[in-house]
Amino acid sequence: MSALPYLRAAGAGHTRNAIRLGTLGAAMAGLILAAVPAHADRAEKHFQVQPKPKVTVRNSNGRIQIKTWAKTEVQVNWVNASGNSVVDTEQAGNRIEVVTQPVGDQISASDKTDFEITVPAESELSVRTDSGSVTVDALRGDMTFDTVDANLQLTDVNGYMVVKTIDGSLVCNRCAGKLEASSISGNMQLMSPTLDSLRVQTSSGNILFDGSFSSRGIYIMKNFSGTIEVHFSANDSFDLNATSLKGDVINQASFKPDTHGSAHPASKWGHSLFGTMNDGHAKVELSSFSGTIKILTRD
Amino acid sequence: MNMKCEQFERILEQQEGGPLPKQAAAHLEECNTCRALSADLGAIRDAALELSAGEEAPPERIWVSLRNQLEAEGLIRNTQPVSRALEPARSSWWSVWQRPAVAGAFLALLLAASGAIGFLSNAPQISVQSQISPRQEVSPTLTADNVFKEEILTVGNDAVSGLQRQDTTVTQSIRRNLQLVDNLIAICEKSVREQPDNQMARDYLYGAYQQKAELLAAAMNRGMTGGLQ
Repeated sequence: MSALPYLRAAGAGHTRNAIRLGTLGAAMAGLILAAVPAHADRAEKHFQVQPKPKVTVRNSNGRIQIKTWAKTEVQVNWVNASGNSVVDTEQAGNRIEVVTQPVGDQISASDKTDFEITVPAESELSVRTDSGSVTVDALRGDMTFDTVDANLQLTDVNGYMVVKTIDGSLVCNRCAGKLEASSISGNMQLMSPTLDSLRVQTSSGNILFDGSFSSRGIYIMKNFSGTIEVHFSANDSFDLNATSLKGDVINQASFKPDTHGSAHPASKWGHSLFGTMNDGHAKVELSSFSGTIKILTRD
Repeated sequence: MNMKCEQFERILEQQEGGPLPKQAAAHLEECNTCRALSADLGAIRDAALELSAGEEAPPERIWVSLRNQLEAEGLIRNTQPVSRALEPARSSWWSVWQRPAVAGAFLALLLAASGAIGFLSNAPQISVQSQISPRQEVSPTLTADNVFKEEILTVGNDAVSGLQRQDTTVTQSIRRNLQLVDNLIAICEKSVREQPDNQMARDYLYGAYQQKAELLAAAMNRGMTGGLQ
């Protein structure tokens, strides 16, 4: 059935309504078109690489998602909704660089570029971004992250990881290898880690470690205020040194006196706990200026 | 005749990392204090050279003021007019310091050195002096802190206000964290004043200064390069 017989059948009133609806629809379509920037940038690029490439990402604001696959290829997808930035990519041998550049002289908060980057499972990664978020899944290789207030989530990663952030938080799920992380006001969460070496520091943020201490590991957690909370397995073997200058040290585990190294005289400043769990293989140092340190077994 | 520490310091400054005359080298062998000073200056010089990769210089007045302050403290001596000392053509390691990251590294090291010297050699006397004299005799740590406050906080303000970006989220975050670190410094300073022999409080104070320097370097770096480098 064509539209014309329908309009005739509907009568004059319905015709006027149809015209109004048509006009409204056209206006709304116009508004929607106006809301989409004329220069929105969306692209996908592929780079053939050797195993273990080095991938560098520089962005100012937006979501950066790093995934892995079995291919020897790096795939970069991005969306820049505002169209105020351009994305430059470069391949030099086994090194890939992805850099966002502002079109003008200034960066605005609305200028946001989201990336989805898929890399070989064994890649070296370097990410620098200011705001937004960074997520990395299942990567095995060295990683460095430098953010202002972008939050970082690492899951099932293994390697030497260096995280430097001002305001951003770190969530590390099942991370293995070696981790060095520093923040001023961000929180640090380490869930089920199997790290050999850990050094985390935040000023006003909280630190949560929920996992096991490997027998040859060194674990240093330090903050200024906030809480340091450590949950470990009763089978873990480590020496503990926990000190809070102005805050409390709350211990709910059974330690025996430290049998290694030099004696630990009671500090005349603050609250301290020294002790050994099982054979004391690993070394755990917890330190806070005014925060509370909580030590608990998981079982 | 044996060389005095003051003479050695003058020679050390003039040599700027070069080989020492025989008499000065002999003094260095004998004197622990001068050996420590020489090692500290060497570390500062190395760090400054490592961090010298192209960054924008802050306003000249800061360096003039910083140099004057260091001279007033006796940490360096003015062997020539400041204007000559700051001539671009002069390729001394002082010119390497005229960069924000270098400033941070320098001051952090300076504070560490001053703190160590103050703690090891002067802290007991200073405690006694503060008890017997209403006039405040400050320790090298606190004096160096004054340098930090007067000069680097000014750099900080310049750096943040000069950010070439409209991304208020980032600038606010940096400002908020600068404020936070300033508060931490104030708290640590209070602790160190109250408990001068509390090494942990000193470590936290030093750590807070380091954070401040790193934060300012990050702010200037991002602001001056448009957030990307």
